[in-house]
Amino acid sequence: MRDTPLSRFLVEFRRNKVAVAAALLVFVIVLIALIAPLVTPQNPYDLAHLVLRDARRPPGYIGTGRYTHWLGTDSQGRDLLSAIIYGLRISLQMGIIASGIALVIGAIVGCAAAYIGGRFESLAMRIVDLQLSFPAILLAFVIAAILGQGRYQLILALIFAQYAYFARTAHGAAAAERQKDYVEAALSIPLSSWRVVLAHILPNALPPLIVVATVQVASAISLEATLSFLGVGLPPTEPSLGMLIANGFQYLLSGRYWISIYPGLALIIFIVSLNLVGDQIRDQLNPRLRR
Amino acid sequence: MTDIVTRSAAPLLEVTDLRTWFPSGRGEVKAVDGVSFSIAPGEVLGLVGESGSGKSITGFSIIGLIDDPGRIVEGSIKLEGRELVGLPSHDLRAIRGKTISMVFQDPMMTLNPVLSIGTQIKLALEAHETIDAADARQRAITAVAQVRIAEPERKVDFFPHQFSGGMRQRVAIAIALLHRPKLIICDEPTTALDVSIQAEILAEMKELVSELGTALIWISHDLAIVSSIADRVAVMKSGNIVEIGPALGVLTRPQHEYTRALLDALPSRAKPGQLLLRGSGIADAPPPPRKSATANLPALGSPYLVIDNAVKRFEKPAGLFRNLAIKSGLSQPLTVVQAVAGVSLTVRRGEVLGLVGESGSGKSTLGRMAAGIIVPTSGTIRLNGQPVMSTGRAPKKITTRVQTIFQDPFSSLNGRMRIGDIITEGPLAHRLVNRAEAPDYVRQWLAAVGLDPTFANRFPHQFSGGQRQRIAIARALAMQPDVIVCDEPVASLDVSIQAQIINLLIRLRAELDLSLLFISHDLSVVRHLCDRVAIMYQGLIVEEGLAAAIYDNPQHDYTARLLAAVPVLPQGTETTAAE
Amino acid sequence: MLGFILQRLWQALIVVIAMSALVFCGVYAVGNPIDVLISPDATQDIRAAVIAQYGLDQPLWHQYLSFVGRILQGDFGRSFVYNMPVSELILSRLPATLELTLAAVLFASLVGIPIGMYAGYKPHSPISRAIMAISILGFSVPTFWFGLMLIMVFAVQCGCMPAGGRGETVSLFGVDFSFLTGDGLAHLVLPALNLALFKFSLMIRLARAGTRELMLSDTVKFARAAGLSEFTVLSRHVLRLISIPLVTVFGLELGSTLAFAVVTETIFSWPGLGKLIIDSITSLDRPVMVAYLMFVALLFIVINLLVDLAYAALDPRLRKGRA
Repeated sequence: MRDTPLSRFLVEFRRNKVAVAAALLVFVIVLIALIAPLVTPQNPYDLAHLVLRDARRPPGYIGTGRYTHWLGTDSQGRDLLSAIIYGLRISLQMGIIASGIALVIGAIVGCAAAYIGGRFESLAMRIVDLQLSFPAILLAFVIAAILGQGRYQLILALIFAQYAYFARTAHGAAAAERQKDYVEAALSIPLSSWRVVLAHILPNALPPLIVVATVQVASAISLEATLSFLGVGLPPTEPSLGMLIANGFQYLLSGRYWISIYPGLALIIFIVSLNLVGDQIRDQLNPRLRR
Repeated sequence: MTDIVTRSAAPLLEVTDLRTWFPSGRGEVKAVDGVSFSIAPGEVLGLVGESGSGKSITGFSIIGLIDDPGRIVEGSIKLEGRELVGLPSHDLRAIRGKTISMVFQDPMMTLNPVLSIGTQIKLALEAHETIDAADARQRAITAVAQVRIAEPERKVDFFPHQFSGGMRQRVAIAIALLHRPKLIICDEPTTALDVSIQAEILAEMKELVSELGTALIWISHDLAIVSSIADRVAVMKSGNIVEIGPALGVLTRPQHEYTRALLDALPSRAKPGQLLLRGSGIADAPPPPRKSATANLPALGSPYLVIDNAVKRFEKPAGLFRNLAIKSGLSQPLTVVQAVAGVSLTVRRGEVLGLVGESGSGKSTLGRMAAGIIVPTSGTIRLNGQPVMSTGRAPKKITTRVQTIFQDPFSSLNGRMRIGDIITEGPLAHRLVNRAEAPDYVRQWLAAVGLDPTFANRFPHQFSGGQRQRIAIARALAMQPDVIVCDEPVASLDVSIQAQIINLLIRLRAELDLSLLFISHDLSVVRHLCDRVAIMYQGLIVEEGLAAAIYDNPQHDYTARLLAAVPVLPQGTETTAAE
Repeated sequence: MLGFILQRLWQALIVVIAMSALVFCGVYAVGNPIDVLISPDATQDIRAAVIAQYGLDQPLWHQYLSFVGRILQGDFGRSFVYNMPVSELILSRLPATLELTLAAVLFASLVGIPIGMYAGYKPHSPISRAIMAISILGFSVPTFWFGLMLIMVFAVQCGCMPAGGRGETVSLFGVDFSFLTGDGLAHLVLPALNLALFKFSLMIRLARAGTRELMLSDTVKFARAAGLSEFTVLSRHVLRLISIPLVTVFGLELGSTLAFAVVTETIFSWPGLGKLIIDSITSLDRPVMVAYLMFVALLFIVINLLVDLAYAALDPRLRKGRA
């Protein structure tokens, strides 16, 4: 068998059955969201297919479309399962785009600060720290208040709220790697600064960033749902999971629990799975837990 | 094997057929596998072995603190006739610190950094008796005074970070002695300390145990230290005691071949420059031919790497407001650390220059400047007349003729690169070889440092410390340098591995006409390898000269003190000298 | 130490200035307050008069300076919606939010830290696994959804808990508190629980991670070798060591709890600051938004300063000039 750092990592990861199950679940959910139009019985945004008579029907109801609404329908007669999968698609899109951009920005800021050092480092990290102490949700409010609502505003808000976490982590990891002998060895050859940063420091600083990324994608999705729930996130034309839950809120008290609960469960299953995967990687990376 | 019970008195501790195993993914790791020995009251037993021999686990088994998932699977540990194996945890706790106590290796890690010394001593007192605050403080002061810490009344209120490593270890010893235990287990208590501190602690410990009549188990990898303190010595290998007996006997007339091999591996027992371990572990493959120009190199013996008045200061830049605060006297000025305070040193072509000093002497900083890794604050470093680093705003290393070998082979290799890439990265970047030649070049170098040439596709984690150090040597030599800065290259290796790496360096140096700047704290290794020696103390070179002259007739006080602090083995008979 | 505090105050000053400029540019300059202030069918004259009245014909920096000047005098303007001074409005809503936040944070810390330490002390026991399952769930469930579930289960299905408002309050030093009456306390439980869940899970995770690492450390081993009981090891050594990162997070989380109170207050109709800010965003009540943001920024700076001081008090390595 080939013995590489990656294969070692996978062998250790496989020992935690819960984490493996969670990773599979994440994979399946992402896959379903990707191929949503192929697996959903209905396109929930196609107004032509919505029949008001089907609205707010409980799970198992067979509507005008002659198929079973396994999870019931929402207030506009949408098949809830389809709406959830499409909602997941939007939520995932927002989470991955925002976290991806935040990761790149954060990694560049963090690594540059750690490598350049001096005043640039202290200034950049001070700004990052200040921003970290400012809660993401407030930042999102400010941006929503200034720029109004919409998809791009929301992504901007999420990036703003998250890049600082990546920058902090990248800086910590890169600064720790910078101290290690293998970097000094590379400098002593000598190799160019670019090569040292890109070929030596960055690959070694990447694993903690991946952990943060899993957590941040989860928290971006949760934050997006929260903002949409509060009415300052996505516009109603693009119903993310948060919007679905918000729409169902008013029916919760009258016993039509499914409209709010199932989208919520979908959201939670996905976020829990992502966090479980992130936790396992984090534990594996923690040198203080090994002997 | 001779297990002689030397004293007629009833043993204080009797260990019989002790087996401590650690279940792992692939069966049990038998860390301790059938160890038997006994200690009489007041006796000092040295437990010697290389890493992984099970010597520390034996100590932790006795005090009942084995890490999960390890456990004692068999055997008995009797303290004054009372069986400790299988004792309920609260009974064991009543013994720990009271009858048996322990001192650990790294004093930087053992004390709690956020509690004052007095509080930590008070907690240890309260573990076994009820005591009021005033009494506890008084006892803490006495305990601190007992381990020769000046101004004990003031020092009990100090926090660990206000003490040096040696002082912290004294505090740990004070805590271990609090309840006048009958047995103290010391697990490599001086390994993390400088030689001079080590000598002080050894002397004090000897005095304290004989004064208090405490029995002592001194666990160490260093035969010389053990010989200077122990009445009896037990040599451990892979979970077993291979030889046990009176210290002088074991160290001068070793019965077991492993003990003999350990002694043979010590550079202090061999003639300087001689191959250790009877020359075993030497690879035969010659290094690949060098391609860089050798035409304008100076003759062997003429000045080559010249360090002229090098100074290195480390300081933190102050922010605008901090500067104002300092100027107006509201804040303390920032401390500037002067690591190297103006050093001039010349490495001649083809020689090995030893740079000796204790921690904080600035020897590593000087080495890093010589290697072109860090920029000197002032002064110049030239190789054959050419500067090692460029000048200007962002100085860069501009020569490839000086390469470096680092202390810790676990951190000096990038774990995400294959061995082949690690070795050829530099030569490819500097066009010493092209892509087509690279695989062959790697194979030649792997063979030259005594490794299997097929290892090129593996990753560092698949190798032991000694193998990694060989890879690091191959990486440095593949750049075809003339000078190698060796920063403690054998300090973190076991003696037998250390001997092999020393042999490798001796051989390669001769074959390649290398000049070495050999930085070490280990005086016997330096004596063995180096032609000339420079002694560094507080950022300055205090003495420099031929190795033999300095060792036999030190001129500077500091050198003399340093040499006197080195523990010496009793002069033996059957060693390499007998060849 | 003094230099350290001065440095922090200097940074705080910069933050406040940056924040005020940001808020000013964002809320006043980007949007056009005129459209909100005047009905679209007003005449040009009225329009010009209002513009002059609010100083909107002045250059931007001039407007900013007068904005700062007014704030320095404690004048945040009047709310368009409530038609009362914003500072009064905020002060009247503040106690409800503070009560909720403190209840949540205290619950999260006082319960979360001990059980987190237990989970770190015995990482493989079934109870610890259950604790971790709860914490990872609490860490993942969005606050608003958990709030909905609380209402559904306790208020709708079982009907044993009230689900909205503060209930009966008692006035103490001129401020209304809920927790002093039985009814008020009952009203406080669900919202506090809702708001606490995330911090609770976070405290568990931090306490567990810290304890787990420390249990393997030489410090703990040495303490055990000296015969200290497990309880003493945990309460004197481990708790003291993990308190340093915990206090930092506690401070940071106090701020973010205050921010997340927005969600809880919306769901439980808790008449606090969060509800005010959401209402003002949706009704474009600019003076309230500005005052709220400035107020929060100030609060953050104070909390950060306190955390830094607590940090220095807990970690002797940061106290200088003793040795």
